[in-house]
Amino acid sequence: MSADPKKVMVIGGGIAGLTAAWELSKCGVAVDLVEKSDHLGGHAIQYCCKATEECRQCGACSVEKMLKNVVEAPNINVHCGVEVGRVARNGGFEVGLQASSVAAPAVAPGCDQRYESNPLACAAARKFSKNNAALDCGRAPADLTVDAIILASGFAPFDATRKGTYNYGKLPNVVTGLELERGVRANGRVLRPSDGQAPAKVAFIQCVGSRDERLGNLWCSHVCCPYALRVSELMKHHNPEIEITVFYMDIQNTGNNFPAFYEKCKQDLQFVRNIPVDVYPMENDRLRMRYTTESDGTPVDAEFDMVVLSIGIMPGLDNQRIATLLEIGLDADGFFQSAERFNRTATANNGIFLAGTVGGPKTIAASMAHAGQAAYEAMKYLGGAE
Amino acid sequence: MTDIKQTDMEEITIATDVLVIGGGLAGVRAAAEIADLGYKVTLAEKSAALGGSQQNPGALFGLSAEEQRTVADTIQAVSAHAQVDVLTQTRVAAFAGVSGDFTVTLATAGDVRQQKVGAVVVAADFTLQPLNAAYGLSLSDGVVSQSQLDALLADKAAEARLGGKVVAFLVGFGQEGNPLVMKRVMKSVAALAAIEGCTVYVYVNNIKVAADSLEKLYMEGRSKGAIYFKLTEAPHVSPDGKAITYRDLVVRQDVELNPDLIVVEEALVADAENRQLAELLRIDQDAWNFLQSDNVHRFPIQTNREGVFVVGASRGIQDLPAVWTDAENTAMAVKGFLGNGTKRVPKGKAVVDNGKCTFCLTCYRCCPHGAIYWVAESNKAIISPVACQTCGICASECPMDAIQIGGFSDIELKAEFLGNLAGGAPRIVAFCCQNSAFEAGQMAAQFKMTLPAGLQMVKVPCAGKVDLDYILTALAEGADGVLVLTCHEGNCKSERGNTYASWRVEDAQRMLVEAGYEKDRLRFATLASNMGKEFSTLLLDMEARIKELGLSPLKN
Ligand SMILES: Cc1cc2nc3c(=O)[nH]c(=O)nc-3n(C[C@H](O)[C@H](O)[C@H](O)COP(=O)(O)OP(=O)(O)OC[C@H]3O[C@@H](n4cnc5c(N)ncnc54)[C@H](O)[C@@H]3O)c2cc1C
Ligand code: SF4
Ligand code: SF4
Ligand code: SF4
Ligand code: SF4
Repeated sequence: MSADPKKVMVIGGGIAGLTAAWELSKCGVAVDLVEKSDHLGGHAIQYCCKATEECRQCGACSVEKMLKNVVEAPNINVHCGVEVGRVARNGGFEVGLQASSVAAPAVAPGCDQRYESNPLACAAARKFSKNNAALDCGRAPADLTVDAIILASGFAPFDATRKGTYNYGKLPNVVTGLELERGVRANGRVLRPSDGQAPAKVAFIQCVGSRDERLGNLWCSHVCCPYALRVSELMKHHNPEIEITVFYMDIQNTGNNFPAFYEKCKQDLQFVRNIPVDVYPMENDRLRMRYTTESDGTPVDAEFDMVVLSIGIMPGLDNQRIATLLEIGLDADGFFQSAERFNRTATANNGIFLAGTVGGPKTIAASMAHAGQAAYEAMKYLGGAE
Repeated sequence: MTDIKQTDMEEITIATDVLVIGGGLAGVRAAAEIADLGYKVTLAEKSAALGGSQQNPGALFGLSAEEQRTVADTIQAVSAHAQVDVLTQTRVAAFAGVSGDFTVTLATAGDVRQQKVGAVVVAADFTLQPLNAAYGLSLSDGVVSQSQLDALLADKAAEARLGGKVVAFLVGFGQEGNPLVMKRVMKSVAALAAIEGCTVYVYVNNIKVAADSLEKLYMEGRSKGAIYFKLTEAPHVSPDGKAITYRDLVVRQDVELNPDLIVVEEALVADAENRQLAELLRIDQDAWNFLQSDNVHRFPIQTNREGVFVVGASRGIQDLPAVWTDAENTAMAVKGFLGNGTKRVPKGKAVVDNGKCTFCLTCYRCCPHGAIYWVAESNKAIISPVACQTCGICASECPMDAIQIGGFSDIELKAEFLGNLAGGAPRIVAFCCQNSAFEAGQMAAQFKMTLPAGLQMVKVPCAGKVDLDYILTALAEGADGVLVLTCHEGNCKSERGNTYASWRVEDAQRMLVEAGYEKDRLRFATLASNMGKEFSTLLLDMEARIKELGLSPLKN
């Protein structure tokens, strides 16, 4: 046994895949980490710190730390810019990797001299993290032989153009939560896309794409209330004068400290229990929305400098293809189905385990815990390894 | 003073038995997994039986009959496991030692025993708290708690008793609640709505649906006819529970409902005994009495002490799949920590100079990781290399300067900035915590963000290692400005390193002002590892301020 160390392939290098790879590597298991894009860290490596006078436990810095662990681990072999094209079972798995369908990040001229020339583009061109600098994504096909597979290919953020009446993609100051996070990470603060100025009045629309009967998306995404409230508080911290309105159905918890945090939010932000249907353009790239007040039903016409769509967590775009490749099932919503009631990492195919948002919406912390469990289940499957 | 490196390794033998405190489902699951890995486990439960203090876990977690059997089997398997010693009616009476070498005293009715364990898993239960008082109600035939309703529904006669009745739920006004609370409500709402003639109203604030399948369960109850009124303020309830008055937001009128039965929500809260346990084990708590500080470095199952882990309700209210997740992460961590009982650790993590130590025990009190102990004969502080996480707080706090940290000794740290203080551009020495600000600084540099030309970053293991002496020496030797950059409050890996650092900066600022310097030459700020841009902004701001003040008065 010990002559031939066990090998595990982890598909997806988001926080779940990174965590699973790291946990396995600590146990002496060799890991092939397969990432489709040219950067590790997935979605969450693009998020900003949301601390005000104190840490808000958003988990974004945990991703940075885990990424560092993984790139420094000698027994994790990162294959980026590639995806799984072929899987055959022969006791273990024979895997063929092929060049990724995701385009490499654009080169951003000027970034080699001065980041400030274009922060957003420079951050993307540098793969969002200093810890990604050494990644060499050759996109070359390769063959792997592994003993088990952890699937951590993550989620797709909701495509906000599907809610046409919000005019996302047409009006520059209608942005998604993902763009908001990226913007703060790159610029250190929230700036209005149209003119690069700090906004004075901002609206958040919650549940964009989630909890939406008409779209058939009957799930809550868990994370969009937390990030909307945390970034709102951050904006308040940067500029106490800013006016922020949150349009919502129900506010979800951030963590154990939620009751205290929510009390602060209620003092600082305006909450309106009503989801507006339309976003209209105004002069100077401002935006107008109409809603009725909860207490007496008065219609209100309100103007904003910026509208943030709190998009949620949708099944990954590759899910159907991956499900066929790995011979495992999807649930009714399109996430991967777990085969057991209590252990949500198990799949119907022995030796393949789920980690992170592939199995449904999760926070960063929950994705990490789920990935740790997947690594443990894989170890059990391999018979303890080493 | 000598230079201390962490390169030399030593082998330390540790105990490999494991204590699991709490025999609820989390403790049982953790014990089973850890025992399966080959470790001997003592499972100590304070009540008379395993499975948790909750009377009705099936209803509590919304389990099907088959799922209840799975749970029962798990409990059965642990009771029968050859590697698990189950002790019921047992409490931890005393706890001593350091990670890998704990001595625990267990008290079972009439019997006290002492045991050596290498690791501890805390699996405290939660407590149910009916919130009738929040609505001015007392429990009675017409006003029941969620648990009482669960019992009622489990009874075969429920259909007959509740058919044709009007039932009203009050949820989310006495507490913010969480998905598990909500799931209990939704399960029983769906069950009631299916009873012939039973009409169900739910008065609710925020519906907590951030958990698997809850949105669907919510829709299911509604499609069966349950009516949800979402209100931001509690409806008015008459003290006898016979009338609920609320504002109907559709017709915009006050409406009165006369229910036959009111069900009040129940909070799930941390076990009241957690505080004693935290004191015994010397582990941190959060503001809500859970046994883990609200610090992302601890998630999911770590505590401030190596080898002490928390699962399930010890650290928060969780549904069973999350409890399973915790238990398995803990088993993995226990294996990583105990291994085969021999640990290879760096020799010079933190070293006490016995000639200098006066046994004042300042270090014992300030170590956030419980790594310092002593033995009766020696009267010197001893640092466990297994437990120590090299934050350096003890080294900076020791009044005798008796402690040095490997790789970060006073000589090494001073050498880093002393050679570099001459020159025209303002010399700014930034002491940077390696977990946060140093990472941010490297990000800024690598991303080609603008930084002051005279910046000198000094990496410290934790800002808690920044001695008052370093700050003063840097300024005295010609630094034009000094920054102490650390993690945000609540994000320090060593919990309080940032607080110690901020106190030292305040002290130093007072001394500067007394000596006639400008206070602004010294600055304290907090950053996270991903704040490269903020690092750059902060340092440019500092540079601009120093330019206003001019170079250090000590430079000619
Ligand atoms: C706007 C927004 C803000 C959020 N903010 C927060 C927050 O503040 N705090 C928090 O806790 N959570 C937040 N979340 C949730 C957080 O993003 C997720 O918990 C986390 O990213 C999940 O990690 P993952 O590894 O499961 O998935 P992902 O981050 O999606 O990573 C999956 C990885 O797999 C790769 N991949 C996909 N398909 C393949 C394939 N076929 N082959 C190989 N690789 C593949 C992808 O390129 C990607 O790198 C937010 C979510 C959104 C949408
Ligand atoms: S707010 Fe988020 S990124 Fe910032 S320190 Fe806290 S957990 Fe880390
Ligand atoms: S987390 Fe909040 S915004 Fe996101 S889907 Fe759930 S309720 Fe809606
Ligand atoms: S603080 Fe210093 S002098 Fe006091 S006990 Fe610790 S090592 Fe000894
Ligand atoms: S360096 Fe930190 S962890 Fe180690 S003994 Fe000192 S205070 Fe404790």
